[in-house]
Amino acid sequence: MSELSPHIPDLDLITFYSEKGTTLFSRISPWTKGLMLVLIILFVSLDKSLILAMCLYLIVLALYFLSGLPIKKLFQWYTMPFIFVLSLVLILIWNEPGKPIFSLDVPYLPLTITDNGLLLLLTLLFKSLASVTYSLFFLMTTRYNYFSAMIYRVFPSPIDQVFLMSYRFIFITLKMVESMIKALRSRGGGLLKSARRQSKMFAEVFALTMIRSYDRADRINKAMEARGFNGRYVAATRIPRIGIGEYFTMLMATILMIYLIWFAKLPF
Amino acid sequence: MAHIHLPDGAFSIQWIITWWILALIILGLCLYWLKKVKKIDNRTITLASMLTSASFAIFQVSIPLFGGVHMNLTSLIGILTGPAIGGIIVLIVNILSAAIGHGGWGMIGANLLVSMTEVTVSYSIYKALGKFNLDTFFKAGIGTIIGLLFGNIAMILIILISGIQGVSQPITLYDLSLIAAVNMGVAIIEAFITGYVVSYIMRVRPDIFRR
Repeated sequence: MSELSPHIPDLDLITFYSEKGTTLFSRISPWTKGLMLVLIILFVSLDKSLILAMCLYLIVLALYFLSGLPIKKLFQWYTMPFIFVLSLVLILIWNEPGKPIFSLDVPYLPLTITDNGLLLLLTLLFKSLASVTYSLFFLMTTRYNYFSAMIYRVFPSPIDQVFLMSYRFIFITLKMVESMIKALRSRGGGLLKSARRQSKMFAEVFALTMIRSYDRADRINKAMEARGFNGRYVAATRIPRIGIGEYFTMLMATILMIYLIWFAKLPF
Repeated sequence: MAHIHLPDGAFSIQWIITWWILALIILGLCLYWLKKVKKIDNRTITLASMLTSASFAIFQVSIPLFGGVHMNLTSLIGILTGPAIGGIIVLIVNILSAAIGHGGWGMIGANLLVSMTEVTVSYSIYKALGKFNLDTFFKAGIGTIIGLLFGNIAMILIILISGIQGVSQPITLYDLSLIAAVNMGVAIIEAFITGYVVSYIMRVRPDIFRR
């Protein structure tokens, strides 16, 4: 299992769940899951209510849990999305009009957090977490060959070609980076405290990654051309079609979304 | 990538669509240039794929500075490949990043515009400095820091124009100055690292740049 940083989703673990999953969610058409992702993005972009954002997050979290995916890992993987939301709104939540909750007495700079400021932070956080959780649920319940066939059909050339090949190469490259980092740490690289030395050492690892990737790309290209590669990497897997029940679920979800966003009266 | 990845739900739907359209136009220009002018070959596709995976793999490494820093090395991609292939690479890296929760799906358009700015400016500055008798480390470092500065400006402009959903006060440049300052702090580290990487490649495998 490759785990270069515990707070970044582990691709090996994601692939393990996507290939071995046997729950109902793994059998649903990947197109349905993709369209539901679009619906969720639309929902979080149109929604202004904290209650709705929280409900959406809880539903998506329940889906993730029912699929038998690792919950503890998910909470570790929330670190980066959490940091992105905080860094974006941490300054903007101060002095929002509303009922004051907490004040900081800084000379010439009155800082107050109001109920609306807190609502803003929580709403954006739940929206972001709902989107992240569903995205990981989608990745971890859909097999690689379905993804590759979807990429092949959705993206124009050469984007589809670069995408398909890079997805295959990521695992090789990750192993390469991981072994270099291990070698660096085992030789005491992690003990260095100087920022300059650390930057230089990691730069050398990254430079080696780039050089080895370049050489590997050259070798792979030659090998592929020798086997008749003509510039088109074809992904011919048949993707399961959207079933009647799935169409119905999507329709109901869309109607519910329209009702909740435009017609439901919620306190906040 | 010394900038924050904008999360889903931050922008209203009209701005999400606007930034997506702009990003698609720029991407369309990249594709047109690659197909009609450069006539992209198999080798370039394989190389772009490997660099995409390298960029994504490098992003997974936490550099133990200031509590842990992650980098995509967007400027390095720009310096190595140029804006057209670099544009495709950063698109795929942004999609893969969104898939694992780093930046929103709806925000790929906006995040791509920021990354494209970094790629294009870094590449242009690096090429422009080629006329001067400067060390490779400095050329790449200066290219990166200016590229990331412009990337930061692009990100701040995008936030100022779009606004953040739910914020009732007008967002000012002053509000975003702290984000910009932190990003530029990371940009300095990225400039050092890119400088070292480019000078290392130039020393060990100069043929990569010649090709």
